[in-house]
Amino acid sequence: MRLDGETLCVGDVAAVAHGESAELAPEARARMEASFDWFEKRGNTDIVRQKWAWIGGGSPGELTARTFIEGHCAGVGEPLEPEFVRAVMLCRANTLAVGHSACRPRAVEVLLEMLAANVIPVVPGQGAVGAAGSCALAHIARVACGFGGEAYRDGRRYPVARAMAGIDPLEPTEKEALSLINGSTLTTALGALVCARAERAVSAAEAACALSMEAVRADLGSLSRLAMDSRRHPGGKAVAARLRRLVEGSELVHARRAVDSFSIRCAPSVLGAARDALDYVTTVVERELNAAADNPLVFPGADVVEAGNFHGAPVALVLDHLKVALTQVASISERRTFRLTYAKLSGLPSFLLPNSGVNSGLMLAQYTAASLVSECKGLSHPGSVDSIPTVQHHEDHVSMGPVVARSALQVVDLLADVVAIELLCGAQGLDFRISGQRTDEDGELTEVPKRRPGGGSLEIHRRVRTLVTRWEDDRVMHTDLAILGAAVRDGIFDPPYDPVE
Amino acid sequence: MVLDGCSLTLDDVVAVARHRKTVSLAPDARRRMEASYAWVSGVDDQPVYGVNTGYGSLARVRIDSHQISQLSWNLVRSHAAGVGPSVPVEAVRAMMLLRANALAKGASGCRPVLVERLNQMLNAGVTPVVPSRGSCGSSGDLAPLAHLGLVVFKGEDGSTGGWARYHGETLDSATAMARAGLDQLVPGPKEGLAMTNGAQLTCAIAALACFDAIRLVKTAEVAAAMSWEALRGVTRALHPDVHKLRPFPGAIACAANLRDLMKDSALTDSIPDKVQDAYSIRCTPQILGAVRDALRYAVTQVEIELNAVTDNPVILLHEEDENKAFSAGLFHGEPIGFAADHLKLALCELAAISERRLYRLTTGKLSGTLPPLLRSGPHLGLVIPQTSAAALVSENRQLAWPASVDSIPTCEDQEDIVAMSTTASRRAAEVLANSQLVVAIELLTAANALWLRNREEPGVKLGVGTRIALAAVESVLGGRRGSAAPADDIAKLAGAVRDGRILNTVEDATAPLRGVR
Repeated sequence: MRLDGETLCVGDVAAVAHGESAELAPEARARMEASFDWFEKRGNTDIVRQKWAWIGGGSPGELTARTFIEGHCAGVGEPLEPEFVRAVMLCRANTLAVGHSACRPRAVEVLLEMLAANVIPVVPGQGAVGAAGSCALAHIARVACGFGGEAYRDGRRYPVARAMAGIDPLEPTEKEALSLINGSTLTTALGALVCARAERAVSAAEAACALSMEAVRADLGSLSRLAMDSRRHPGGKAVAARLRRLVEGSELVHARRAVDSFSIRCAPSVLGAARDALDYVTTVVERELNAAADNPLVFPGADVVEAGNFHGAPVALVLDHLKVALTQVASISERRTFRLTYAKLSGLPSFLLPNSGVNSGLMLAQYTAASLVSECKGLSHPGSVDSIPTVQHHEDHVSMGPVVARSALQVVDLLADVVAIELLCGAQGLDFRISGQRTDEDGELTEVPKRRPGGGSLEIHRRVRTLVTRWEDDRVMHTDLAILGAAVRDGIFDPPYDPVE
Repeated sequence: MVLDGCSLTLDDVVAVARHRKTVSLAPDARRRMEASYAWVSGVDDQPVYGVNTGYGSLARVRIDSHQISQLSWNLVRSHAAGVGPSVPVEAVRAMMLLRANALAKGASGCRPVLVERLNQMLNAGVTPVVPSRGSCGSSGDLAPLAHLGLVVFKGEDGSTGGWARYHGETLDSATAMARAGLDQLVPGPKEGLAMTNGAQLTCAIAALACFDAIRLVKTAEVAAAMSWEALRGVTRALHPDVHKLRPFPGAIACAANLRDLMKDSALTDSIPDKVQDAYSIRCTPQILGAVRDALRYAVTQVEIELNAVTDNPVILLHEEDENKAFSAGLFHGEPIGFAADHLKLALCELAAISERRLYRLTTGKLSGTLPPLLRSGPHLGLVIPQTSAAALVSENRQLAWPASVDSIPTCEDQEDIVAMSTTASRRAAEVLANSQLVVAIELLTAANALWLRNREEPGVKLGVGTRIALAAVESVLGGRRGSAAPADDIAKLAGAVRDGRILNTVEDATAPLRGVR
């Protein structure tokens, strides 16, 4: 992967988080050199000393690059997962590669070499407010400069010297020390991972919705192109189009059936709204991924500017929005699961098992989904509305972006399991329809003509059944949930597998 | 420790969950259990929920007598529906202890061997792997307790499931139990339900959090006293007669503790014209007092639940009625969910006032003559620890959303209002951990401030409690020179806040601080 300070996307961040490495693009190197040379030639490092004085309460004293970075290492709590730290390292490297930081290319290279060698600093997961000097970045910089701290190397934890063996640590200039740590990169990097994971989870939610529609024999009207076009929302149009493709050819879902409940009928509107939110959030995050999120900013030949580009508000705000959107997706999915397991609502046996009684069938899967949705609701309360004055009133409004990003990661993780539960129940419901069974008004299973689902639905059903077999008698539920949850996270239900409309 | 269903305390829970104290079943309790089991195993034609009926909305389905054990084993397997990261070992152990004590009450119609097996697992250190997510807290913590049931039980056909930790390894349940020399049990009538019906994970996490919160509120008072002295505060706000005028018990206790800690201080009341301090100092008794009152409520609720039957149906042997099984709602997690949510709010405020004090200490214009950021050498000072504390306080606020106000209907609308109490407890534990970190940061900041006061006025006399506390902090940090990275000092102090070292040192040298009861 080429890191050029211009084209980094959320998919790239996810790829590097999971092990890929990157190199600095020549044009970015040239920009970095130009800004460094101009800044040095100008002999204007006073601005950095002033900055230190500002942070350090009036006088830079005897601060050095080292004590400045070490003093920022005040993170708390359990260490961040190494994949998250990898994402942060990549994103900071890209910010410096934008070329307004007066850093030498080496400042980026050392981070990229660490990524390639899988040397990942131990970074406490809590304690960042998402504005200006970041303690998470400081813990990374401390290792990158060889000053101290610990790092994982291929999964084992070592003191800095051993971890960095074979990599020349950066000897930072004063400006580099500042630029390595000055920005809300933790928020941005985690936000990028949230976006990448959300794309998969929402795709799987669409797939699960198609199964549920087949299993409850939904009316096709809710997917009507006329209806969607008349409301204009691109997300709704896209979701309805995908669902139409998935149920294409279905004998179960067809026009002029009874009107469905909202969790079925309004799925394109709700999932579509989430898609629109995700598009918007991804746009903002990707803009920030390639932004000069630093201070002061160096514009070679023109000026050195003190501004507020480090503040995490732009990303914190949209991640709060994304949490709400993902919670909606989870919430409507759980209601479809509830419907599938509820004999009076589904036309299928209670808890999707004909011999329920001595078996509880999929009863508890719905409880689990309900609990997870409730957790999502709690975590969706916005973090960015809070601010607490810091640094002697200098930094008197902060974004709380890292708090938001960490809860957004939890929400997207919970959503994957909620969707896995709908896939389990939807596939089980569809099994009855495929084999020509439904329940009558007394709840007795009766034979009806076998009906075929759409080709896309059938493919999703096949993927579920490859992973977990149909429930006949009770077994350990957790096993099925863990397998399907992992499949959702791994992208087994991503759109490329759909038939073409 | 002998379990009788009536006398379990918070201290007992901690002794077993954290310190591996061994447990056994009281003879009286055994007799009660045998009697109630005898009635259940004699149930013949009459329908008794969960004995010869399906579960939840499937209560309408009658179960053949030859399938009664299968019913219980199926319950355990199909209800083991947890997901996500595992519950910490100490909370699983507490959950096992609470379940054993609830069954020891003798109203659940199960054999004494169930309690014995749980006790043996606790004593041997077999800890089931319990996923933390997926419980609604009604009808109890079904999924988490079913994961426990997977290790305790096996099917009539010898089938097993689930995982357990034993001697540091994660093993399948059969191997773990075999290595510990324990048999897995084939469940008798109702025993699947007896093992799973009740909000024990909710209560286990809440009980450990209550124990830690009692320690934390006292430690927060120690930190507050250090900050009070460092800011040369006015102690008139603590006068006992002041607090008699608004007699909340928590405030009275907090003010008394602060007076005791700061007794004989030369720093307090040392600025002649100063009449009152900012809220984060002056209102400490009102805020930490309210925290104490909330905590007392939570502890009271938890202690009732520690010795409660949480099962359904319950067997009332003394009733005249031929059907001695009474279906009710004792499993519902709401009483503890509320308590956990309330505890969470209280701890948020404990951390919030602590952060404002340490902000004041690090802000030159607010701290009197202390240097900005408490910088005293070629280091950055304590600018970023304050930022970290602010982040933790904000995170607490996000976690404070009360989980127990939410409910989503389950089980074909049979279980149409659920507690979400497990989420409440888990979030309370997170808020507790964050708040311990904030108090650790205040201890670090206040200690730095007091060292600077001592530099201003060598030998200046501190309060009888605060001088011990300062020495305890120095001992944890290994002297007065801080680490290069404040993170290392904060981590050391957080450990000492959690395990009570700072508090115990102060209490041992002076007198016990007032508790919350």
